Amino acid sequence: MKKPISTDKGPKAIGPYSQAIDTGALVFVSGQVPIDPATQQFVAGDIKLQTARVLNNVKGILEAAGLTMDHVVKCGVFLTDLGEFGAMNEVYATFFTKDPPARATVQVAALPKGVRIEIDAIAAR
Amino acid sequence: MRFALLLLAMTACASPRRTIASDGAPKAIGPYSQAVEAGGFVFLSGQIALDPVTGKVVEGDIKAQTERVLKNLQAVLEAAGLTMADVAKVTVYLTDLGDFAAMNEVYATFFTKDPPARATVQVAALPKAVRIEIDAIAAR
Repeated sequence: MKKPISTDKGPKAIGPYSQAIDTGALVFVSGQVPIDPATQQFVAGDIKLQTARVLNNVKGILEAAGLTMDHVVKCGVFLTDLGEFGAMNEVYATFFTKDPPARATVQVAALPKGVRIEIDAIAAR
Repeated sequence: MRFALLLLAMTACASPRRTIASDGAPKAIGPYSQAVEAGGFVFLSGQIALDPVTGKVVEGDIKAQTERVLKNLQAVLEAAGLTMADVAKVTVYLTDLGDFAAMNEVYATFFTKDPPARATVQVAALPKAVRIEIDAIAAR
């Protein structure tokens, strides 16, 4: 049975999607971009700042589903510049310290609102 | 009987999430696992055309790269006790959709019957400047 997750700990959707869908066993988290949930504004800053904001958004949404980053099994990382792979990984690794999730990383042509990174995630309960 | 039930309960309570590692696929080039299993599904990281022995990008065209990528996925699946027949969903990332047909030719030889659901897109670039990356979800 699917249940949408809605929380102030992550930015409001900027389109017709839910922040996450909880199917019971799995939770599908929408691609997050670096929007501050408190102000609903895009955070200015480099890839490290943007990566931290994005992952904090994922974390907040998971918390609303009663889960933590340790439950994440798969992430998709979408960058506008793979030259930032190393810097992104530095911050990313601090959010997934043990047995990190499976992941696919690609460089895309562009992301909403001109951000540098988007990350989506699947977590398992 | 009580012992068996206890064992079963312990198994059920143990972390439902486990990582899969295989020498038959290249080591991760970042903070990710080759695959993670949970809830009856195995989530495989995106594979690129790296040779697991040398860690280098394989020489050759899109066909050679596609073959290497799928062999890498196959090795990770085998480490999880699964085969290509267990794959339910695949995403194919190409740097040039002009390679679509040649990729499909090789791809079809790995999924001969009831191939998985799939999404294919062209991306701006891939790690290590390869031409193809593929990730997958398999069901036990």
